[in-house]
Amino acid sequence: MSERFAAAAGRKVVSRTSAENLGKLAHIVVDVTHRQVELLVVGKGRKALLFAWDDVSGFGPDAVMVSGEDALFEPRDERERAAADGKLDLAGQRALSDLGNDIGPITDIVFDPETGVIETLVLGDREEPATSLLGAGSYAAVIREPAT
Amino acid sequence: MKLLLTGGAIRGLPVVTIAGGEDVAEVRDLIYSPEAGRLLGLTLNKRGFLAGRRREVLPAETIHAIGRDAVMIDDESSLTPPDDAPEDVGAPPSKRDVTGDEVLTEAGTSLGHVRDVVVLVGSNGEVAGYEIETTSGGTGYIPLPAQLAVSGTTLVVPEATKDFVENDLVGLGAAVDDFRAKLGMS
Repeated sequence: MSERFAAAAGRKVVSRTSAENLGKLAHIVVDVTHRQVELLVVGKGRKALLFAWDDVSGFGPDAVMVSGEDALFEPRDERERAAADGKLDLAGQRALSDLGNDIGPITDIVFDPETGVIETLVLGDREEPATSLLGAGSYAAVIREPAT
Repeated sequence: MKLLLTGGAIRGLPVVTIAGGEDVAEVRDLIYSPEAGRLLGLTLNKRGFLAGRRREVLPAETIHAIGRDAVMIDDESSLTPPDDAPEDVGAPPSKRDVTGDEVLTEAGTSLGHVRDVVVLVGSNGEVAGYEIETTSGGTGYIPLPAQLAVSGTTLVVPEATKDFVENDLVGLGAAVDDFRAKLGMS
């Protein structure tokens, strides 16, 4: 089974220990080097909190279960603040090939909800394997030039 | 079929790191060697509204690819202080510019004057030809390697070049391979 970022956005985040609804999933941050979901953001604006993929006990079709409320934390540095603001979202970002051609934007990302491993990048009506992702930052995600 | 870009289209392109996805600079100008028929590097501006000149240059060897939408480099270590760059990149001779030069065939026909260089997309600075203002005042594109001699005011090109004056970059892209094959350069 695969899951998509676009479908997961807005899903409720629930504490497994207290059963409290902690808010809605707002952003997902990818560790580009390991092609893996790294951080998730619940809530928006000043109230946005982060939690690590390691604290996700279940990424289900109806809720994202986190180990407990204490797994949530406020942004601690520049990068986490950018993450909380959605500035690190891969989906929606301009994609440049390593040859310098604009091939984006990235419209969605397919990942494995069991492991958090990124499987596929969706660029409009095209799909590229996650292994083609070379880097990402504030300006663009860089993807290996697709074979034509 | 090759994809091509004029020098004018390269100026202003963002310079983006592959690993970091950051736009660290933008292209100010091209450093071109008419003798070598290729770019030796790029000079840079800062990115953003307060764009001013950046001291560092990008020697061609440090460029991963020049594309339609960006110049790609591996990381910021490609931005080279002029003192550390090859001499003709760090302090390029000012009379290197070919724009304005007359293009003469070996038999003495003028094809026009050079307006810009045309660079192969995806390369790190391979020059495929020139954009010229033709003698009739229009725009033409001629393939390279073509010139036999460069004097600072004139380029002398093989006679065959006059059969390869194209009206647009698409035409030049298609003609470059044929032209080089005809000259035995492939």
